Amino acid sequence: MIKGIGVSAGVGIGRILLVEEHSLEYTPHEVKDTEAEQARFNGAVETFCRNTEAQAEALKASAGAKEAEIMLGHISIVQDPYLIGEVEKKIAGGTCAEAAFEEMCDMFIQVFSASGDDMTMQRAADVRDVKAGVLGLLLGVSDVKLSDAPPSTILCAKELTPSMIAEIKKENIVGIITETGSTTSHSAILARVLEIPAVMSVPDIMSCAKNTQEAIVDGGDGCVILAPDDVQLGEYTRKRERLLEERRELEKYRGRPTQSADGTVYELVCNIGKPQDAAKALEFDGEGVGLFRTEFLFMDKTSVPTEEEQFTEYKKAAVILKGRPLIIRTLDIGGDKDIPYLGLAKEENPFMGFRAIRYCLKNRELFRTQLRAILRASAFGNVSIMFPLITCVDEVREGKALVEELKSELRAEGTQFDENIKVGIMTETAASGIIADLLAKECDFFSIGTNDLTGYTMAADRGNSDVSYLYSALQPSVLRMIRSIIRAGRECGIPVGMCGEAAADPMMIPLLISFGLTEFSVSAPSVLRVRKSISCWTKERADEVAEKVMSLSTQSEVRDYLKTVV
Amino acid sequence: MRPASVFASAMGKYPCAVSIMHNGNTINAKSTLNLIAACLKCGTEIELVCDGDKENEALAEGAKMIEDGFGE
Repeated sequence: MIKGIGVSAGVGIGRILLVEEHSLEYTPHEVKDTEAEQARFNGAVETFCRNTEAQAEALKASAGAKEAEIMLGHISIVQDPYLIGEVEKKIAGGTCAEAAFEEMCDMFIQVFSASGDDMTMQRAADVRDVKAGVLGLLLGVSDVKLSDAPPSTILCAKELTPSMIAEIKKENIVGIITETGSTTSHSAILARVLEIPAVMSVPDIMSCAKNTQEAIVDGGDGCVILAPDDVQLGEYTRKRERLLEERRELEKYRGRPTQSADGTVYELVCNIGKPQDAAKALEFDGEGVGLFRTEFLFMDKTSVPTEEEQFTEYKKAAVILKGRPLIIRTLDIGGDKDIPYLGLAKEENPFMGFRAIRYCLKNRELFRTQLRAILRASAFGNVSIMFPLITCVDEVREGKALVEELKSELRAEGTQFDENIKVGIMTETAASGIIADLLAKECDFFSIGTNDLTGYTMAADRGNSDVSYLYSALQPSVLRMIRSIIRAGRECGIPVGMCGEAAADPMMIPLLISFGLTEFSVSAPSVLRVRKSISCWTKERADEVAEKVMSLSTQSEVRDYLKTVV
Repeated sequence: MRPASVFASAMGKYPCAVSIMHNGNTINAKSTLNLIAACLKCGTEIELVCDGDKENEALAEGAKMIEDGFGE
């Protein structure tokens, strides 16, 4: 058994396909016909660009636009005017195209690698990728055709490039092993997107493994077994079956309403960050979207996106959801989320500083643009507006007044929107929990953001290892906060949802049922698991558990008790 | 890589020579690779020099991109 880093969970059993880097060796020679040599080089560059574009297209379809953009960057490298100019000079001087191009690439690889700057050093890998691609074309060595990989193939490579992933047929690939890479590397992200079990940073795997050799990849534990014996095969076949069985078991909950054992129906929706994730939410059987974070729209840009740009994105999500709920949270920047072009000042204490609703209310133009875009999108689905980081009633009133003002504006223009659009708030600060009774009178719904609520209630940063032990939604203080927010919402007759990680925590679910939560908003892959979990509880039993929990004094007592009942 | 390639391709549209002066070095601003190699960071002080046809237009667009945060 060889240990590596498990980067994409699941067990794959199949046969190895070594993705060898073909030899790019050549004998540098002097060229007489420099014009023909230049034409040969231009041809290779053209082919490279054409192939890369096609791969970017394929990648866009299987993994998304962001992944494809990296490939398109390779085109801008190969077309770099300085690089091309220098190569031309070398060829004109009689150097062969291979050597001319390689010398220039190596120079940049060396400069980038020696820069000492992380981002710049990573770019060396891109230049290396481009160099290999163009040299391969010049030398006429063909790539391993990954698209021809037979079913049950385990890909084994030194490094998996996006161009390789773009080529594979995911139904035929049951596992991925690489010598380099880790959880955050690009190919790891792609493996997870494609749901292929993967183990990376496996030392010397290219020299240990042989083509068509049988192998096991366990992406959960991060181990690889080459030529497994019957005992191992049996063990891992069972493990794979168990994982698949768990998945099948959950599949039974697909298409079913989300209801408790005694028949109370809940809303089970998803948290998303991009409009196309709405499709993913539906694919995982989410019943809509309880939190659409809009930051991405701003982060991927060089300036504030226009109303039209934002409208297009919000509308896209609304249309995908076909009338299912779509709660759009207005811009939640500041804190740890920076957007360079907004020119936010560095703050002593960003989490207590100028962020989210506070920033938006002071930057009216930006806020107006976003709210108008959301209102216009509301004509195309069941859209609600949600304000983040509310701490006092004034903020809700001011935000709602702006929404009303924009509604009259749109009405005057004759632009369509949903007249009855709901406006709710994130209850994620200690202040909002304490005045939840006052806030409930001002808005149409609450959504409890347990991640920030826990941090603000406990005054503890979960990223700080010295204090993260305090950070838990099972702290009696946080549980009381959650209970009182839900109670205040109920008393005012408004729905209360939860969009923090706690909403998907099986230990939390009986408590939320007992407190009276009506909507659970979770990450798409958790939908079926949460639905199953909710189906196990009756209100009566959940009440018993909650009563006991609320009588306990410490987080560890709460946790120990809940472990015995879940 | 994105800011560098966005900037380089924007400058590539102009016939004039475009360079960035930084720490006594002259960097070809139409070249993504040279821009990356220069390790320019947000907040680095630089001088943008355009020389030739349409130099004023190039300077105006380049300066705006830099002020807006180098396309990021």
